[in-house]
Amino acid sequence: MARGGSNRSRLLLVILLVSSLLLITLDLRGVGITAGSRNITQTVLSPIQKAASDIFAPVGRFMSDVKNFGKTKAEIADLKSANAALKKEAAFSADVKGQLAQLRNVLDLAGRGSYKTVSARVIGRGSASTFSQTLTLDAGTGSGIQKNMTVISENGLVGVIKDSTSNSSIVLLMSDPTFRIGVRVARSQSVGVLMGAGTGSYTVELLDPAGSLKVGDSLISIGSDNNRPFIPGLPVGAVTKVDHTTTSLTQRATVKSFANLNDLGVVSVIVQAPTSAPNKAINPTPRPTVTVFVTPTPNPTPNLTAPGSPLPTPSPSQIKVKK
Amino acid sequence: MSPVRLSISTAFLFLIFAIQESVISRIHLPITGFSLYLAVLICLIALEDRNGAVVMGFIGGLVLDLAPTSQSPFGQWALIFTVIGYLISSNMESVGDFTSEPISFVIFIASGAALALSIYLGAGLMLGQNVGSFSRALVVIFGNFMWTLLFTPLFLPLIRRVREATLTSRERL
Repeated sequence: MARGGSNRSRLLLVILLVSSLLLITLDLRGVGITAGSRNITQTVLSPIQKAASDIFAPVGRFMSDVKNFGKTKAEIADLKSANAALKKEAAFSADVKGQLAQLRNVLDLAGRGSYKTVSARVIGRGSASTFSQTLTLDAGTGSGIQKNMTVISENGLVGVIKDSTSNSSIVLLMSDPTFRIGVRVARSQSVGVLMGAGTGSYTVELLDPAGSLKVGDSLISIGSDNNRPFIPGLPVGAVTKVDHTTTSLTQRATVKSFANLNDLGVVSVIVQAPTSAPNKAINPTPRPTVTVFVTPTPNPTPNLTAPGSPLPTPSPSQIKVKK
Repeated sequence: MSPVRLSISTAFLFLIFAIQESVISRIHLPITGFSLYLAVLICLIALEDRNGAVVMGFIGGLVLDLAPTSQSPFGQWALIFTVIGYLISSNMESVGDFTSEPISFVIFIASGAALALSIYLGAGLMLGQNVGSFSRALVVIFGNFMWTLLFTPLFLPLIRRVREATLTSRERL
């Protein structure tokens, strides 16, 4: 304790510390009061954020322009849209090729424009006083947006709805360190987990140690049960660097997301996936396995066949089929 | 610290919090974002006496805990700022009051904001939160320090005036 601290000061300090610890305990135990207070704050703040978004959007754009000094805005916009279209096309093409090559009926191509989405404006970004990476949207449960819905931009996956109130929602960006999503390499169909790192790049870790990863490989989302929180078949990102460390049990690579999370004005929340979507693409319906048992004859005859000649074929009665 | 001043200070902190969440966080500054709220809170804590600093830290932390985008447990910021309030006020008595020297005070506020973020990071790790890579965390803390150092001189006089306006005649003495 500090020198000269009076008993009253110490008592006050202890009371406040205990109160803080009590609040933390209540929150970690899932008491609704603390979560509710954040929801109330969000409800109160969202109209202010909406107004501020309209007023200060030029300031934000100005700062963005300063950062990209020397580039023509219109040219960038054109290139971005063209690039986005190409990336999306390339991701899907590679995906289809990979699936055909493996002759498996596993595909997650549901994301070809048949989702039911709700578009929303970005009215806020995660506070600089925390390490979390979030967005605030101007639409909430009133527009059909609920927790654990997938959020996309024109280029691909953006994140997932973390929380929603009647008029706003909070998106946990895929760059957040706590973000995890199952992905599939479009070319090789290897499955892995993509992790946010708090930066513009991501790490993907393959589940299969023998899986294949190459620079330029496109990653597609696998999807979740009942499409919550993730819809299958969304373009996620492309591999930029493969980690060839031999000591690692699994293959790791650095990934760049297709969506530019720093430049999001409007995003879409997928409120309903198409019912015909093959969202179990990596878990195909098991087909019956045919096992052939060959029963040797009771009195084997000497093998008089010459080396290299075909073996005698068993008779149908000698074959049992097990399904 | 009178109840009236406590109420006014809390309302002022709410206003800064709303500005932070609605305006400042929309501006994409290079390196990382700037937290006006952290800077203002550190400034207010430093201008208080021991009891006032601890109470201001607790209330300021609670307001920050209300941030809907926060993923930390409710009360974590309150705990951190209560400790910071105590540390600042107790050391101010031994180091001496430097709040009247603008440059020293600005450096102090920037360092305080960086310290708050570092403690937040450490507390998060102890509570098992995933806070990303260490290098990224360092960049965030350093970036916040730099921006606080640059922007604090712009609003420091205003904060001082607001605080002085809330002082009772007895506290002025």
